[in-house]
Amino acid sequence: MESAADHLKADTLVKIPLQRKSQTLLALADLIEGFKRWPVWFLLACQDIKLRYRRSVLGPFWITISMAITVYTMGFLYGHLFRSELQTYYPFLVSGMLAWAVISSMVLELTEGFILSETLMKQIKLPHSLYVHRIIARNIIIFFHNLLVMIPVVIIFHQTAKINFYTLMLIPGLAIIYINALFYGILISMVGARFRDVAQIIRSLIQVTFFITPIMWNPAILPPQKRYLAELNPFYSFVELIRAPLLGHSPTWGNWIMVTFITAVGVVLSFSIFKKYRARIVYWV
Amino acid sequence: MAKINLQSVSVEYPIYNMSTRSFKKHFLRVATGGTVTEDANQHIVVKALNNISLTLEDGDRVGLIGHNGSGKSTMLRLLAGVYEPSQGDIQINGSISAILDLVSSGTELEFTGYENIILRGTLMGLTKKQIKQRLDDIITLTGLGDYLAMPVRTYSSGMVLRLAFAISTSIQPDILLIDEIFNAGDADFTQKAREKMISLLNQSNIVVMATHSNELIEEFCNKAILLEQGKVKFFGSVNNALELYRTKE
Repeated sequence: MESAADHLKADTLVKIPLQRKSQTLLALADLIEGFKRWPVWFLLACQDIKLRYRRSVLGPFWITISMAITVYTMGFLYGHLFRSELQTYYPFLVSGMLAWAVISSMVLELTEGFILSETLMKQIKLPHSLYVHRIIARNIIIFFHNLLVMIPVVIIFHQTAKINFYTLMLIPGLAIIYINALFYGILISMVGARFRDVAQIIRSLIQVTFFITPIMWNPAILPPQKRYLAELNPFYSFVELIRAPLLGHSPTWGNWIMVTFITAVGVVLSFSIFKKYRARIVYWV
Repeated sequence: MAKINLQSVSVEYPIYNMSTRSFKKHFLRVATGGTVTEDANQHIVVKALNNISLTLEDGDRVGLIGHNGSGKSTMLRLLAGVYEPSQGDIQINGSISAILDLVSSGTELEFTGYENIILRGTLMGLTKKQIKQRLDDIITLTGLGDYLAMPVRTYSSGMVLRLAFAISTSIQPDILLIDEIFNAGDADFTQKAREKMISLLNQSNIVVMATHSNELIEEFCNKAILLEQGKVKFFGSVNNALELYRTKE
């Protein structure tokens, strides 16, 4: 800074006081600007989906169909495997799979969030958070396509999957998932860009997580003294944010506490790292 | 009033995928490009711009000249906000539009020409309404007619360029940054593009243009910056800069 100060005296042209913006403000500006530029990321998200199904007849409804095939067949097989009553197991599995699909694909795609945005990033100045929003928005849109899979389930198993006041809890649930996806997404995208092996590690971890999280199996079948295996798994609470409203009840207090804790950690951790390395991201991709 | 002010600005970037020692040694010997050093973690660091101070004001039409790797593109990316200085301060007043790479940014091959106009326009920060207002002009400038309703993957490379050029030049910024874009397209389009560029240049308050064509610089610019290994070798009149550049060769 001293040489810059010397320069100030020497250079008579410089009359405008230079403001050195702090990295905290720049990072904050990036986040705010990311929200403000929603038409850009929403358009990009829609484009991603259109692009995937451009020349197919059914278009984006392939998302719904492939999800339907997966969960309907799984429901029958695993219902019998776990000797559960189809009436309770089937809606549980389908709604859990919907929740898992949106959460896991967000995590997986976010590992390459910045890497795949390289060309744009090097041509146009856009907030970094915008690329993360794009991926989250894309997955939320896909989630709403998948949601159609629930309709026959709600009709056939209307005794266990109810549509009531608690169904509306889906909206705050998704909002919280969005916030988490944004902050953890920035973090994962950064780490994924800097250390290219991370995407592979996360990929295998996500697979394991699917089996250890109560999605195919109900935590109620665990012996009471082993319940903590489910309760302490943050993914369980996030899945519940979607699954519980879809089944017509509210997530438990335990779920809410876990989610609040994880969100707080995510916001603080992600922001402090984003603040420090934001300017380097463009060189990592 | 538009103004660009750089004070002792340096841009350094780390290179992460060079690990072998011999490669490093080899790289150090390369004559063009910025200064290559190692940082504390033994990453290779390229100093693409080194301690640059300059001020550009309204009416400046600046040509950036220098060898490949002298820092021209880095300089434009710095001014466009893509790169942030690793040292020093930068201040820019005025809206910026950068035409850095016409074809690769935001041209989606599966999409039609129209869809690409909307996509690219939105990326540049235009609203739907603003795009609609400019649509006719853009369409005329592309000269693509009915092809605009077809996917871009069916276009020839010249046609993609026409489309990209027409959209990119549809906004009028205070500060215009251009990187080597004149050298493509057929005669008819080159003429059209030239006219469009001249009108755009006249409407912008500050223009910074990187090119290897001395004629273009002589025609459009009133100042020139000669870059060498990331440093400003000369900043002043076009003739002096070009002369200095020629004697270096």
